[in-house]
This record gives sequence, structure tokens and C-alpha cells, in this order.
Amino acid sequence: MDNRPSDHPPGRIRFIPLRAVDQRRLPIWEIGGVRVRIGLLTEGGYPYVSGDGRLWCDRLVRGLAQHEFDLYALSRTARQEEQGWVPLPPQLHRVRTAPLWTAEGDGTAHGRRARRRFNAHYGELVTAVCSGGEDLEDRFGSALYGLAELARDEGGLVTALRSEAAVRALEAACRAPGALRAAHEARVPDLLAVAGLLERALRPLSLDWYEADCGGVRDGARAGAGWGGLGCVDLCHATSAGAAALPGLLAKHFFGVPLLVTEHSVQLRSHYLAASGETLSAPVRALLAAFHGKLTGEVYRQAALITPGSAHVRRWQERCGADRAKLRTVHPGMEAASFAALGESGENSTAATPDRTDSALPVADPDTLVWVGRIEQSKDLVSLLHAFAEVRKEEPAARLRLIGAVAPGDEAAAYLAQCKALAAQLFPDEADGKHAVGENPVSFDEVGGPDVPELVDAYGAGAVVVLSSVVEGFPVSLVEAMFCGRATVSTDVGAVVEVIGGTGLVVPPRNPRALAEACVALLRDPARRERLGAAARARALELFTVEQNIEAFHSIYLEIVSHYPVRREVMDDEGDPLPFANPVETHVPGHWALSGAAETADAAPGTVPPVPSWAVRDEDVDAVLGAVAGEGAR
Amino acid sequence: MTGTPADQGVDTRARTGASTENNTSAGTGNSTGSTTGSSAGHHTASSTGSSAGTRKGTGGQGMAPQHDSGQLDAPRAPAGTGGWDARSEGLLNGGAPAPGRIPSAVDEAEPEQSRPEGTESAETESAEEEGVLTGSAVADVEAAFAAVMGTGSPARTAAPSSAPAPSAPAPPPSSPAPVPPAPSAPAAEAGAEAAAEEPAEASAVASTPSGGAEREAPADRPVRRAGARRGAADPVKALIHRHRELCERAVDPLEIAAGLEAHGVTDRAAARFRHRDVFSLAEEMYARVPHHGEGGGAGSAGPPSQGERPGADPHGTPLPGEAGTGPGRDGRPGGRGTAALLLLPLLPGALCAAALLALRTLEGGQARVTAGVVGVVAVALAVRACLRHGPLRGRERSSTSTRAWACWLLGYALLGDGLLDTALRGGPDGLWPPRLAPALGLALAVAPAVWCARLLTVRAQRKLATSRGLEEFAGAVRPLLLGTFTLFLCALLALLGGAGALLGEEAAYAGAGSLGALLLLARLLMAHGRPGAPAVALACAGTVELLALCSVFAGRLPGCTVLALPVESVVTSWGPGAVPALACATAAAALLIRAVPALSRASAHVPPGGPR
Repeated sequence: MDNRPSDHPPGRIRFIPLRAVDQRRLPIWEIGGVRVRIGLLTEGGYPYVSGDGRLWCDRLVRGLAQHEFDLYALSRTARQEEQGWVPLPPQLHRVRTAPLWTAEGDGTAHGRRARRRFNAHYGELVTAVCSGGEDLEDRFGSALYGLAELARDEGGLVTALRSEAAVRALEAACRAPGALRAAHEARVPDLLAVAGLLERALRPLSLDWYEADCGGVRDGARAGAGWGGLGCVDLCHATSAGAAALPGLLAKHFFGVPLLVTEHSVQLRSHYLAASGETLSAPVRALLAAFHGKLTGEVYRQAALITPGSAHVRRWQERCGADRAKLRTVHPGMEAASFAALGESGENSTAATPDRTDSALPVADPDTLVWVGRIEQSKDLVSLLHAFAEVRKEEPAARLRLIGAVAPGDEAAAYLAQCKALAAQLFPDEADGKHAVGENPVSFDEVGGPDVPELVDAYGAGAVVVLSSVVEGFPVSLVEAMFCGRATVSTDVGAVVEVIGGTGLVVPPRNPRALAEACVALLRDPARRERLGAAARARALELFTVEQNIEAFHSIYLEIVSHYPVRREVMDDEGDPLPFANPVETHVPGHWALSGAAETADAAPGTVPPVPSWAVRDEDVDAVLGAVAGEGAR
Repeated sequence: MTGTPADQGVDTRARTGASTENNTSAGTGNSTGSTTGSSAGHHTASSTGSSAGTRKGTGGQGMAPQHDSGQLDAPRAPAGTGGWDARSEGLLNGGAPAPGRIPSAVDEAEPEQSRPEGTESAETESAEEEGVLTGSAVADVEAAFAAVMGTGSPARTAAPSSAPAPSAPAPPPSSPAPVPPAPSAPAAEAGAEAAAEEPAEASAVASTPSGGAEREAPADRPVRRAGARRGAADPVKALIHRHRELCERAVDPLEIAAGLEAHGVTDRAAARFRHRDVFSLAEEMYARVPHHGEGGGAGSAGPPSQGERPGADPHGTPLPGEAGTGPGRDGRPGGRGTAALLLLPLLPGALCAAALLALRTLEGGQARVTAGVVGVVAVALAVRACLRHGPLRGRERSSTSTRAWACWLLGYALLGDGLLDTALRGGPDGLWPPRLAPALGLALAVAPAVWCARLLTVRAQRKLATSRGLEEFAGAVRPLLLGTFTLFLCALLALLGGAGALLGEEAAYAGAGSLGALLLLARLLMAHGRPGAPAVALACAGTVELLALCSVFAGRLPGCTVLALPVESVVTSWGPGAVPALACATAAAALLIRAVPALSRASAHVPPGGPR
């Protein structure tokens, strides 16, 4: 653990009033068009230039202009923070950031009772983490919330989480009977490392985001005095499980704010992959994995809805304990406008009508295969080149264009050099005649070069788009090719099958022969190409546009807000509670995300069936009125 | 799931696997897809002998040869009685299961079946697709269906041109060997190799993305024909062998699943190992591989633990010969760090000695004052450098008051005794001589202080790495701390004596010695992240000295003579050096009592630059 002094000023929370107080739009509560105040929770994500998923968040915030967004961002590294933010849209009313990478020893010295509370909760937490069984989720959750309450009552936990007491609790939990086998082997350095990493993971507990003082915001009387924290939002939207969702968990615990979790890549899986790259010892990795697994499980359990970005993510989430009833796959949306002209023109129409006004469209060479992407090892270009060698045997006129930038890093550069060497070895330069200058049938281009000024030209350059990856998450280039109406041949990795549906050819990964055969089949059959391209474009426009993404989230927001209203006490101008401000009908018993049959089955035995108020018999009126008064007073 | 399953079990699993795979491949979660898939798989299973190689990958999994991605196993007969079926016979007899192959060993999944799972717009989407695909797409759909059902289709006609050899289930030429020992490949593979004999083969082997280690050498291939079916018993074993490191390192089945997916193993590939998905495949692999701790510490890749070293003594008696060796773990190994560690601490002493020499040799008040001021500033800067780099570096910035009190204590050691002495005699009348010997001794003692702190750090880190428990560590560090402190004290007293002898002054063992001890302990505590107690101790000692001086002067006020009495009595009994000695020794003792438990905690010795 690094305890060196950092230049980060303590307690640095940026508060950005984007407009003057009197110019702010006051929230309008329209009937039928509810304005939802959404707390967007990111970790190493949105406002930062180098953040993951910043494009998606930006589109979401801009697309849902009728709602209000508060951004709560955790930064992952100092470098990320230095690089600055992307330009923020005006819908983003407040931005609060906190660093996860620096440890401000806040110097909070807890009293004896606070220390005892800490020891009890932390002991519970690490016991739940260290025990291999699955039955301790509630202990984990209650310990987590206990720590959060302690942090809220007594101040930051950074010092306590690093203290000797924490290490001792960890040691006791590791040596306890029933603990993980790897935990039994933990030595003192492992314990210290785990304590340090847990402290880092639990930093969101010590933030000062959990305030509920938002009475003035709603009626504008004290607008700007303090826009409150997560207690004031109607809905928390975490852009990943893990650290980003931790504030959302606490908001749910403290204020009952519903939590929506969106994951485009599984955070837990990234943890595993990242941990395998580091030189941590086995006990540390085991304990850390157990912690993250428990935390992820708790997030999935508490979330009102979970929206995986693809079926692959969905499988992982189900595996990690997410309730199937809560899962709604929302595919990421992509900008389709720039590909529209090419997609609608089809493959040959430009060549057929050269006098059309939109003459900037590239001419597709019917013999050309195109690969577009970032050049790195996982794209398996070597296999693609071998496949192309097979294609050339069948179709001597075929050409292959590899368009894309090199991924950062020496490894990728070396890979590009290797691919170029292999291409030169496999395919000698060819010329049309005896006196012409030859060129290689395989060309490497970058977007922005003279041949390929824009990305759309890359897809327009060929008749068939090939994807040869061995590892792929959500295949962006495939979706772009679909937008362009190109026939595609791709390998069966990641979410490819899910994305392409029936509108392209899919071959096994690392199988150049199959890839070659599929390419040849498409090169020889223009009609089939056109058919598949049109179908692909239609599918992409239906499923992967920004609009569908935003629309899906819009309806999910409204769904959640209508089913999980945050029950706040409403005050009048004098600060007295306002009775009857919360109508009783806003409370829906039971879990609405379950199927209808299950819900009614659950609700039937205990509760009175819903009856209109005018239909209530006289002796029941008093009871109902009492209940209403009780609701109002709460 | 590793045992040899009974006949019936295999059959069932093949079918369920088929339906599962169909589901995943087609991306549907609905029941129609599953029934279709199951029937398709069943159909294929029943007609395996002839048509195993002719189907498309969308169908059943159990015999999906074309679908074999290169990194996975080629089709082969299951060894053991349980898995014997018609297809195995076919493999044995014919070598290649079936002639001819579909032009596309491709999944051109039918639109009806290939809906992404669970999207809310599934219905509209399928409607849309059907709308788009009507007419022109029908041919594709038909072809796909026909291929799945294993019947003749128009799509098959294009086959022979691309793959004349009867080698349908051939893995690609650049595939890793399923089982590295050569003679264990399916006979069917030979055909593929014949087809794949190309000039570029060598380069393919050399330039495959995952390195040549996993790839078979081309020279091995002809040999591999021989024992075709052997090694086929356990496809998961080959997979485990390929991902051995991943499996051994893994702490969790999910970690293996993540690693497998990162290597391109999909659910469909897992279906070939008769698993429902990657997760259950990973579970089997996790269960089958011995992990760290069981197999003798295979996975202890963490900090270079010397824990198994036989000489590790639980009570911390230092082993001979390990004191100064090794670069330590504070991230400053090697040449420059060592030089800085050795030479920098000597600088304050050298500068102080030079300044004193200048004071002695120079004539004239101006020059001497200049030399004195320059000397003080130079020594202060050198001490600051020593404290900023090296083992005495504080984790947090020390507070201004702590620094001020430390300066006051040092200033008192230089000038305070003389002032007190003259004040008690009624002075001061003009300047009084400073005590130079303690100053020189303390400046020289910076070097042993740094070295002792270094010794403590290195040894404590070593103990940390070898300790199994916190108590054990504390027990080992306590004597180490006391020993180091004693060592420093001896060095300090020797240096003080030497400086006194050199300068011809009386050596202030008690005052300067206790001050040195106090400063070292304070700095050690600060360097290990405990700045609270040192601040209090320094402030107390400084306040006592300040009060002593003030009380003497206050005693001159009329009626306040009693104020000066305690100091007077102390000074008359033991001399003026007794005041700082008492103050500093008490503070140092208190600090030592505090330091022993504080520094014997493991959390105080977390190496900087460790996990943040």
C-alpha cells in the first residue's frame, strides 16, 4: 500500500453549477411525461476523456433531454483525471467526482464505540468474504451497510480500513474453520495486501454523496443551497456493477432509491482478467475474487433492473446470481447516420449511376474483401491471410484490404509488421501487364489516409466485410458493416452470432478454410450478397441504433420510477410535513418484475384485493382513511 | 462428470447438448427453438455414420466435426465403452466420416431461430426480418435447413471445388495440437493436411498469433496418422493441458471461464466437450487440476516469499549473513540507491566538521559569523535531504509544529546549556559560547541513524515475508527493534565522546544522547505512519526546556524567586546539561514504550509501492 503523501487535495469534490441559480430550469412535473432525476454512477467512465463507455453515456444524456441527470463519477487513475473531461451537455446538472486511486488518510480517529462498531462490521464482512459458502450473502450485505452507516455517522473509514485492527480481523477470518482453502494459506504480506485492496474497493463508502437534503430543490425555495446527494435522485443508474454500483447500493439502503445496473462488459470478468495479469499471490487473488463476487451478487440482488448489453454479458450475470426476471438486454446503440447513404445505395448502384449527385460514395469492387478494425493479436489477421490465400486459389482476382489503426503498444506494432511480412510472403506483387507496376493483392490502410478518408469509405471499399477475431466483445465493426448493408463473414466469437442473427455468414474461429469457403461463396454470388446485406442493414437499424437504445432506457426509467417511487417526506414552505403528498396508490406491493402470475400468487394471501374507494363498505372506510393519514404523515 | 458415462447417459447428454447449443447459436431462448434444435440434433445423431460430416455447425454438438475450431479437438471416437456409437465405427472404419462438405462450414442461421435472446423487440424484429427476407432469402434459409437435416441441398453442389479431399472434419493447418505427443491425431486429419500442404505452411507455423509453442511442428504431421484414435478419450484433458497454467493459477472456476473466453472458447466450443456452457466446462477443469497448496505451492506467485526457507526463526533471531544483502523491497534497489544510502547520511557530519574547522581557522568576526551561518544552513539542508530520501522518509508530510519543535530542541542543544548557565549566574552579558561538541556528534550520528533505520526496514520486511501470522511477526520484530535502537544508542554515545574529545569539550552524553534517541524514535514512528505520538513527545520535551529557561528569567521578577528554584536545584546538583537530559530522556522513554507495540504491527511495515 502506498501511503505517500499525494498532491491530491483532500476532500476534493467538484461541484459544478452549470448555470446561475435564477436561470435554472425548475423541474416541471408534467402529467404523463414525468421528469426523472437520474443519478448516473460511473467508475473510470463518462466525464473523463479516456473513460470507458463515455460515448454511450454521452448519447444517453443528450438523448434524454427531458430528464435531469446528476453525474457521480469515480476516477480510476491520476492520469485519467489529468486528461480532463469531455464537453458536458446541459442536461447534466451536477457533476461530482471522487478519486478511487488516491488514499487520503483523512485522519479520522474514531472513538471507542465507533471502533467497536467498525470491528464488528468489518469482521462480519471479511468472514463473509473468506467463507467459501454461498449462504452468507445477507451477512455480507448487512456488514457492508453497517460500514456505510458507520462512515456516514463518524466520518471516513480510510484510516480504520488500513488499521491493524482490520488486518487482525482479516487474519481471524482467514484462519477460521470453513474459510476458503486459499485463505488458510495467507501469510502476513497477503493479509496486508488484501486489507489494502479492500480499503481501495470500499472507498466509495467514505464519500459524502449520501445526503438527502433536497427539500429546497423541488419547490425552488432553497435552490442552489445544496443540491443534495444521492438521496435526492429518483433513480440511480450505474454504468457497471462493482465500484460504480456501490454508491447506488448505499443510496438504495439509505433512501430507497431504485438502482438500475447496465453492463456492457462484465465487471467481475474484467476483475478476473486483470487479476491474472498482476503478480498477486494466490490467496490475495482468491480473497479479492471472493469479495468482488459477493459484491457483484449483492448489486444484482438489490438492483431493480439489470440491463446487459449482450447475451454474453447476460449469461455472466445470470451466473453471478442475477435474477432472470430482472434482466432486460439492451443492445448498445451506434450512430447510423454516417452509414446511411452507403447502406441505402447498395453495392452496385453507385457504379450503375455515376451521375447521381451523391457522388462521394465509394465504388465497391466486387472482388474485394474488407477487414476493418484495430490491428491487434486478438483479431487473428494471420488466419485471415491464410484464408485469403485459399480464396485466391478459387478466385484469382480477389483482393483483400485491411483497414484500421494499430492498437497502442509495441506488441500490436510487432503484430502488424508480422502480418505485413506474411502478406508479402504469401502473395507476390501482381501487375496487369508486362509493363505495368505491380501491387500486392493485400493492402494495409488506415482510416484518414488518401484512399480511405472516412470510416464509411472503408466499408464501401469492398463487397464483403470479414471479421476474423478470436476474441470479441460486442463487435462494433460488424454492426457498422451491417449499417452499410454489406454482406459479412465473421467468426463465432463473443456476441457475433447474436448481433448478426441470420443476416451474414458465421464460421468457427481459427478456421481459415471455413472462412475462405464462406468468402468464396459470397464473392461468387452477388445476389446473395445483396440479399444478406439488405437484411443485415434492416436488422441493424432495428436493433442497434442510438434511438432504440435511448428509447429503451427511457421506458426503463419510467418503468422503474413508476414501480419504485422514492418515498420522501414532502415539506411545505414552513418546513412542516405535508400530509397526503404521497398518494397511497404509488405503493405497489410485491415484486413487479416477476411475471404476472407469480405476483398475484404472492400478493393474494396477505393483502386485500384492490377495491375502488367508493366500493369500500362503511366499516372499512375508517381503516382506509387511517391508512391514508398514516401514509401522509410518514 | 469426468467418469465414463453409461451408454444411455451419453446419448441423453448429446441430445441435450445439441438442443442447448442450438439455442445458444440461434440466440433464442424460446421453446420453439429448443424443440427444433433437439429434434435436429437427434436426427443427426441417429444418422451419424453417414452424414456426420455433412451437417452444418448449427445442428447437434456431439458430432459437429466441421465446427471444430482449430484450437479444439478434432472429432474422434470416444474411448471407453460408454461413448461407443455408430459414429465411432464410422471413424474407425472409414477414417474420414463422410465425403464432401458443404461449401460453407458456416452458420447461416435461419432468421426464425436467430433472434437475440430476450430482447423486448424480439417479435417486431422477427417480423421485420421476415418482411425483409421474404423471397430472396428463402433460398438461404432452405439451404441452411437442408444442411441441418443432412439431406441433399443446392448448397452442397459447390462443395467439391473447394475441398476435394474427403476430409470434412479437418482442423485448420495452423491449429494447435490437441495432444502434443505426436501419434495421437485422428486419421481424418491427414486429408486436411494433404490439402493444406502449401508453401506458406512454415510461415504459418512460425507466425501464428498465439506463439509457436502450442503449434505442432509440420514435420510431426505424417507421423500422427498412425495412432489415430488414441488420446481421444478425454478431450477436456487436452484442453486442460493447453491451459494448464490458467487452471493452476485459477482461484475460482469463474476465473477459468473468463480465461477460456479470452482464448476464444465459446459456449458452442464447450458443447463439444459435452458441457452445457463454458462455466460448467470451467468447473470441470477447475475440479480436475490440482491447485496451489495441494501440489506444493505451484501457484504462489506472489511476493517472493522466502517462507519455506528452513532457517526462518519464529523468534526473530537474525540469521548470520543476511543483514545487508539484497536490495530490500522498498523499490530502491541497486547502485544509485546504495550509494545514496551510504554516502548521503555522511554529509551532515562532514559539513558540520568542515564548518567547525572553518570556525576554528578563520580570523575576524565577519568571516566567522558567515562561516557559522553557512555551516548551519548547509547542515540543515543535508539533514533534510537525508530525511527525505532513504529509510527515514516520512509517509506523510510532518507538520510544521513538529518540525519547529525539533529545531528548537536542536537549537537548545547548541545554545541552551550555555544560556541557562549564564542566566543562573545573572547574565547573559553579551554572547555566550555555544556547545559545539553535541552539535558535531549529532550531525555525525545521522549516518548510524539512517543505517539503523535501514537495517530495521530490511529485516522487518524479511520477517514480514516469512511470517505466517501477525503475532509471529510482532514477536520477531520486537527484539529487532530494541536491538537496532541499542545499536544506534551505542554508536551515538561513541560519536558524542569522540566529538567531545576532538573539540576538547566535555561530552554531553546525557543531554545530546537522549535527544538523539528521541529524534530517532520520533522519525521512525513518522516513517511508519504514526505521526501523532512523536509530535506530542517533541512538543513536551521542547516545552519543558522552554519552561526551564523562562522560569529562570521569571525568577528575577520581584516576588517570583520561587519559580526559579526547581531549575536552580537541578542545575546545581547535576549541571546545566541535566535539564535537556531529563526532558529528552523522559520523552524518549515514553516514545519507546509507544514505539515497541506500534512498530511491531504488520500494518506499520507495509512496503511502500505495494498494492495501493
